[in-house]
Amino acid sequence: MIDVKHVTKRFGEGQTAVTALRDISLTIPEGSFFTLLGPSGCGKTTLLRLIAGFELPTEGEITLDGDSIGHLAPNNRPVNTVFQSYALFPHMSVARNVGFGLEMLKRPKAEIEATIHEMLELVQLGEFASRRVDQLSGGQQQRVALARALAPRPKVLLLDEPLSALDLKLRKGMQSELKRLQNETGITFVFVTHDQSEALAMSDQIAVMSAGAVRQVGTPEEIYTAPQSRFVADFIGDTNIVSATLLGFEGDKASIRFGEGTPLTVQTASTSLKPGAVHVALRPETIDVVDEGADRALLRGAVVDSTYFGAGSQMLVRLDDGVAVLVQVATPRAIGARVGLECDTSMLHVLED
Amino acid sequence: MTKFLSLFRRSTGSRELRRQPLFTGMSWLVLVFLYAPIAVLVVFSFNDNRSVVRWTEFSLRWYAAALENDDIRRSAMISIQVALTATIFSTVIATMAALATTRGGVYRGRAAAIALINQPLMIPEIVTAIATLAFFSILRQLTGVTGIGWLILAHTVFCVPFAYMPIRARLSDMSVTYEAAAADLYASPWQAFRHVTLPLLMPGVMAGAMLAFVVSLDDVIITLLVAGPGETTLPIYILGQIRRGVTPEVNAVSTILIGLTVAMVTLTFFLQRKQK
Ligand SMILES: Nc1ncnc2c1ncn2[C@@H]1O[C@H](COP(=O)(O)OP(=O)(O)OP(=O)(O)O)[C@@H](O)[C@H]1O
Ligand SMILES: [Mg+2]
Repeated sequence: MIDVKHVTKRFGEGQTAVTALRDISLTIPEGSFFTLLGPSGCGKTTLLRLIAGFELPTEGEITLDGDSIGHLAPNNRPVNTVFQSYALFPHMSVARNVGFGLEMLKRPKAEIEATIHEMLELVQLGEFASRRVDQLSGGQQQRVALARALAPRPKVLLLDEPLSALDLKLRKGMQSELKRLQNETGITFVFVTHDQSEALAMSDQIAVMSAGAVRQVGTPEEIYTAPQSRFVADFIGDTNIVSATLLGFEGDKASIRFGEGTPLTVQTASTSLKPGAVHVALRPETIDVVDEGADRALLRGAVVDSTYFGAGSQMLVRLDDGVAVLVQVATPRAIGARVGLECDTSMLHVLED
Repeated sequence: MTKFLSLFRRSTGSRELRRQPLFTGMSWLVLVFLYAPIAVLVVFSFNDNRSVVRWTEFSLRWYAAALENDDIRRSAMISIQVALTATIFSTVIATMAALATTRGGVYRGRAAAIALINQPLMIPEIVTAIATLAFFSILRQLTGVTGIGWLILAHTVFCVPFAYMPIRARLSDMSVTYEAAAADLYASPWQAFRHVTLPLLMPGVMAGAMLAFVVSLDDVIITLLVAGPGETTLPIYILGQIRRGVTPEVNAVSTILIGLTVAMVTLTFFLQRKQK
């Protein structure tokens, strides 16, 4: 288990200092597939480099199974990295690359040989042991990099966008391969990506980051169905974010109202929001399209676009306050038609900003 | 407009430039004046005659004579001794300097350090020679130490920038990620250097060492001023002989030197190509 406690990382000093991470706290459970997800520049690589030991935290502490490791050099941490550029040693064979970690740890020759063999079998590159690394394809190099990082049996494996250099088909294959390796080895994987579908597909837990802070940690389902903030809802994609007025709280629920409509009791990400204008998440698949005049209609607007996609259609409705909402329907309405939107209020969700 | 530009570009492109009569003529002239004398020297080293202007017959007698000449043998041994030692020392120093200026992070004065290492290349050699002579005589007097060590020291010093250039070039092309990966895989800083940095750097080190060796072997001016009695290197010996006129023996020795230098430079070239 990795504990990141109040870690701040600043680069440079004085006027030109860049704060890459701002008071971050995270717990990465042992044996889990943990993903750091966020837009470019949010500090994912920096956090990974802090765990690996290539950077030292400006403030705060990192512990691994209770022992503080934040100040140790990379070669003294039971943590291995799969680099984005692979960084395979070009002057060594595939086998020697894979055995390098154990060789540096001065393990017995027989053990090194056995592990190299086992690891190459694990990544299905058995017959490539004596090849030079520049005689391998990108996907094969990727798997050698994985085998090399797994060979010393680290407690934690760090992967910085390991799939971004691969083409789409290879990427899908490697996604399930990574999942399989994680299951078989039981090693904690910390995986960095800025691709939300990759994160949702692979992770046990996701930490969504923005601008040097962790915005939300949760299972893919929690992140997908119950985003806490506008940022997370927006980043995970295809959630509608509409405006409403917060009237107050009833226990852990919020009372809101759309326009001048009737008050509704819905879930909320926080009970410390101030009454007034708030944003509400509304998943496309929970919305029903009804007649504009229907009592059940919570929101009203005009159809501006519709796209057929096999199983149904996706309609874009522009609400009267200008916000566009995506809905999924079996039979689309004509473009320009006025419609009302109804939804399961238990699926509504007030967001933090 | 773009059409006009492309016409313009084509007409001044390197391909066309090569066909300009003046340009081609100049190039040939330079090549002839550069290599013709060397060719003549080489040819006449195989001449079976004492004359260095009239060809009679092919013979290796001047090579035999040169190899049997004790003075030549002694000065050749001194040259090789000085060049080898200076090469080893200067390459080690240059490697450390290159590591410090590319792997020591960004620190104040790094640019100045690089300039300082390279600057001797711009200083006229005669200036360096006189300065070294003056400085070394003070040191010699203060320490009372004499011997060939001073000559080796002088050579080591002026070889450092030559060895430094290819090593630094190689290092700054080399991604630091390799060293990070080594550290990540439990290599101590020394192990990372020994198993990753140094092997990857080796072509640069070899190129630097060969440059240093050639530069040391060819040096005249500094050696002339710094060398003590009995420390005559091959170029100095040749220079002394030339005063009494060019002999075929000198031609033979020079040809051996040229052969050695060409071999070294070619090897350096291929070493640097191999790493691409
Ligand atoms: N060595 C450094 N010196 C100065 N600033 C840095 C350094 N490394 C990172 N930063 C800054 O810290 C911030 C976070 O960088 P980081 O590389 O962690 O982002 P990231 O989330 O990995 O982005 P990407 O998805 O583009 O890889 C950026 O603003 C970056 O400019
Ligand atoms: Mg990054």
